[in-house]
Amino acid sequence: MKRLLLLIIVTAISATAAFAQSAPETLIRNATVLTITHGTLANTDVLLRNGKIAAVGKNLNASPNARVIDATGKFVMPGIIDCHSHSMLDTINEGTLAVTSMVRTRDVLNTTDVDLYRELAGGVTTLNLLHGSANPIGGLNTVVKIKWGRPASEFLFPGAMPGIKFALGENVKRSSSPNLPGVQRRYPNTRMGVEEVIRDAFTRARDYKRTWDEYREASKKDKNLIPPRRDLQLEPLVEVLEGKRYVHAHCYITSEILMLISLADEFGFKVKTFQHVLEGYKVAKEIAAHGAGASIFADSWGYKIEAYDAIPYNAAILTRAGVVVSMNSDSDERARRLNIEAAKAMHWGDLTEEQALKLVTLNPAIQLGIQERVGSIDVGKDADVAIWNAHPFSVYARVDTTFIDGEVFFDRQQDLARRPELSKERASLEQAEPNRPRAQGPSPQGPRRRPSKHEDDDMEIEKP
Amino acid sequence: MPKVRARLLVAFLPLFVLANLPITNAQRSAIDTYAITNARVVTVSGPVIDRGTVVIRNGLIAAAGANVTAPPDARVIDGTGLTIYPGLIDSYTNLGLPEAAASPSPAGGGGGGAFLLLAQQQRPAAGPNSTQPAGLQPEVMVEEVIRPGGNEIEAARNIGITTALTLPRSGIWLGQSALINLAGDTPQQMIVRSPVAMHVGFTPLRAGGYPGSLMGVFAQLRQMMLDAQRYRDSLQIYERSPRGVRRPETDRSLAALIPVLEGRMPVVMLANSEREITRALDLGVEFKLKLIIAGGREAESVADRLVKQSVPVLLSLNLPRRTTAALPEADPEPMRVLRERVEAQETAGKLAKAGVRFGFESGSITNLSDLMANVNKTIENGLQQADALRAFTIWPAEILGVQNQLGSIEVGKIANLTVTRGDLFDRNVRVAHVFIDGHPVDLRPPTGGGGAGRNSLSGAWSVNVNLGAGDRTMTLTLQQEGERLSGSIAGALGTGEISNGSASNTGEVQFTATVNVEGQTKEATFTGRLANNEIRGSVAIVGMTPGTFTATKPN
Repeated sequence: MKRLLLLIIVTAISATAAFAQSAPETLIRNATVLTITHGTLANTDVLLRNGKIAAVGKNLNASPNARVIDATGKFVMPGIIDCHSHSMLDTINEGTLAVTSMVRTRDVLNTTDVDLYRELAGGVTTLNLLHGSANPIGGLNTVVKIKWGRPASEFLFPGAMPGIKFALGENVKRSSSPNLPGVQRRYPNTRMGVEEVIRDAFTRARDYKRTWDEYREASKKDKNLIPPRRDLQLEPLVEVLEGKRYVHAHCYITSEILMLISLADEFGFKVKTFQHVLEGYKVAKEIAAHGAGASIFADSWGYKIEAYDAIPYNAAILTRAGVVVSMNSDSDERARRLNIEAAKAMHWGDLTEEQALKLVTLNPAIQLGIQERVGSIDVGKDADVAIWNAHPFSVYARVDTTFIDGEVFFDRQQDLARRPELSKERASLEQAEPNRPRAQGPSPQGPRRRPSKHEDDDMEIEKP
Repeated sequence: MPKVRARLLVAFLPLFVLANLPITNAQRSAIDTYAITNARVVTVSGPVIDRGTVVIRNGLIAAAGANVTAPPDARVIDGTGLTIYPGLIDSYTNLGLPEAAASPSPAGGGGGGAFLLLAQQQRPAAGPNSTQPAGLQPEVMVEEVIRPGGNEIEAARNIGITTALTLPRSGIWLGQSALINLAGDTPQQMIVRSPVAMHVGFTPLRAGGYPGSLMGVFAQLRQMMLDAQRYRDSLQIYERSPRGVRRPETDRSLAALIPVLEGRMPVVMLANSEREITRALDLGVEFKLKLIIAGGREAESVADRLVKQSVPVLLSLNLPRRTTAALPEADPEPMRVLRERVEAQETAGKLAKAGVRFGFESGSITNLSDLMANVNKTIENGLQQADALRAFTIWPAEILGVQNQLGSIEVGKIANLTVTRGDLFDRNVRVAHVFIDGHPVDLRPPTGGGGAGRNSLSGAWSVNVNLGAGDRTMTLTLQQEGERLSGSIAGALGTGEISNGSASNTGEVQFTATVNVEGQTKEATFTGRLANNEIRGSVAIVGMTPGTFTATKPN
């Protein structure tokens, strides 16, 4: 019996050892380390062990079987965090109703979206996957680590604060949709209506919570009570009221920003981030006083009426007002170069290097409630780091290797090495029977290009 | 053998009437004992009998073996050179349903008037006095709307399929399926078992109502199951002591979900890709459902979960393939898509090796040589031939709970038999006889026209999208199976898979795609109508003026 017990213990230990090996130890030697929290350290080593940053310093020792990377002349930066992404979502909007807090982006994750791999190649390791901006109260978010190649369940960021997408302004009131005869427009159609929809939803959520509280109290005495209905639309809003769920609110202009702040004050919850918030610089003090963050574009504006008043000093002004600011992508393409978006804040508004770096690292981590885990190079944090061949604020900078929890999820050399083999595989796949079209005829014609009536208006046409 | 057929042919009847009524009542009562002698008998349940006899009496298999002799009152069919198999089971179909308004059924008549009317309005089946909109009514029972006869049933019989699981065509909660034998004068005669299972289709509602996206579909499925749990609990509390408790409102939709939630009725979820299957499995765990996966194209990639949760698969034989050559200027197809097409042929073999229970479904293929060619591809790619036969017979019977009635040639089972000249999986196989409920059915040579219009959206389309600043050209590659539309779009607005795709029987097309507009990732919803080999419609993007699109299919 004792022997059996011993066997079990030994097995358990070896199982743990095997688990530890799955995230191999890596020593990055002699790099310039952008720690975010304690400056830029030259000629410094970073040790990744058991999925964590185990040590940062000079002349570190690693175990004999550790992988050692000579990073002389290279830069180590925390994995970039994108606080506004729609990558890997099979569907982004549930726009049929004004309030869709019952829908979850978690249900529609697509781990095969190639944008994820491209984002890893841009040093991005964490995404805040948000519902679209079709309605005042949208669906629930999902915070993920880009564990490319793994099942969706392994993407989920453990311990990230649950969130929900709100949206204000033109998208919500459907300013761009024409009035068509016989087509009922979805309420609301004005900013006043948007406010009413949100107020109504929180009023219902408050009532819902009270109904359940009363039931729980009364059912202690009366076992024959029929429980109230569980309402998946209102449950997340109750969580917002209880401070257990972050609000990420898409917005543009001052009036709607102030509206949401006062509505949140009225119901006693906080807006965690204002997303886009192009006019944030006008109400930076109010946003700071509310305690909200701002997640913005560097210099994207003018793409619709409510985006006309943007200025590229937004990040700097908000930062100096004490607002936690992040730069997001809202784009599978821009997500690959968020480092450059952050760099722009040094140009426009003279943020310091560290302040600018924070825009895509520690600040979005704070906005997602994961700042204890990621966002800087500190001992004990998750080993989510990227090695760059130049300072990430250089347009010539490229990512060599991206680590998540100490494991390599992108490596430029490995990628290059695989390419001949992949093109060979493609050639053979193209020849495989299911990939050969049955019809032997010629390729179909290209799409017709209809001549435009107003050539002057064709600024937007893609160049050949 | 020709004698029997001659007796069944009632002269002077127009051929299409004959097709619908292969067996008249007079004949049914006159002959009910048959013996097929000197045939090779593949029992599935036991060893193959190289030369034996199968006796059919009163709709059941009365005897089968090498030493069985034909009873004197039996109609004897010389089976020399023939092979007798248990009737094939197609485990996921819309057979026996009224056809869409666009192509009116020649059969006509019969029940299901309300259903037909709604089908003509391009909406899913709707029950009267339901609390839920059409498409979200689990109380819909296919049993109430199926009709005997019709070209599709005949096409299935022609390729040796004797039994089919049939379910409503469209919706999120599709409703409850029935297992039917593909012969009989009335719906009642056809039904072997009903209801068999609850069905979930995941296709968002097209009409603009909630839920209009896959996210909403999941939320609504969850909400209704939670509502059904509460409905059950409320009824229990009320029945315990009605006095002093407010009476719960009756709700047929929620009532229909109670057996599902209690694991008494399996729920079949349509899921092909790895992520679709994973989502279905997750939902199954969340609500402790007795789950079955239909489609299952990438099921092998989650085989360990399927085994662990003991979830069987109704595996589609409609194997993916590149339908047309890509447009010259189109982006190359992703490697993943090319790989998936090749790997789909290996799924059956890998499922068998991993110990996942599965049965084949035809995926609406109506041509025997196509169907058998695809079975052969699965055999060439690792499936044992004996397992291929099981996947057509005893395995689906077990999954659908009719293993004591169907799926093998055993005494006492329903006499559904598929008799072939040549091995079933041989390239040159021909179906010689089909017996259903103990009676031979008339077989016509395949006309090749069966279900021709059904996959009309599949293939590559050239798309012009106009968002107000000139045309942008894209290539759209579509794959249609039933009302479901999958595929990809590539070109000026980026590259990606389409989702939420659906097409009605009357040509209404809807899907969403992720596009890149003005530096932002946006979701574009395409809504259009197919006419004259062209889809025209509008493109809606949140925050933008709606645009238009035209898709043409180069012929």
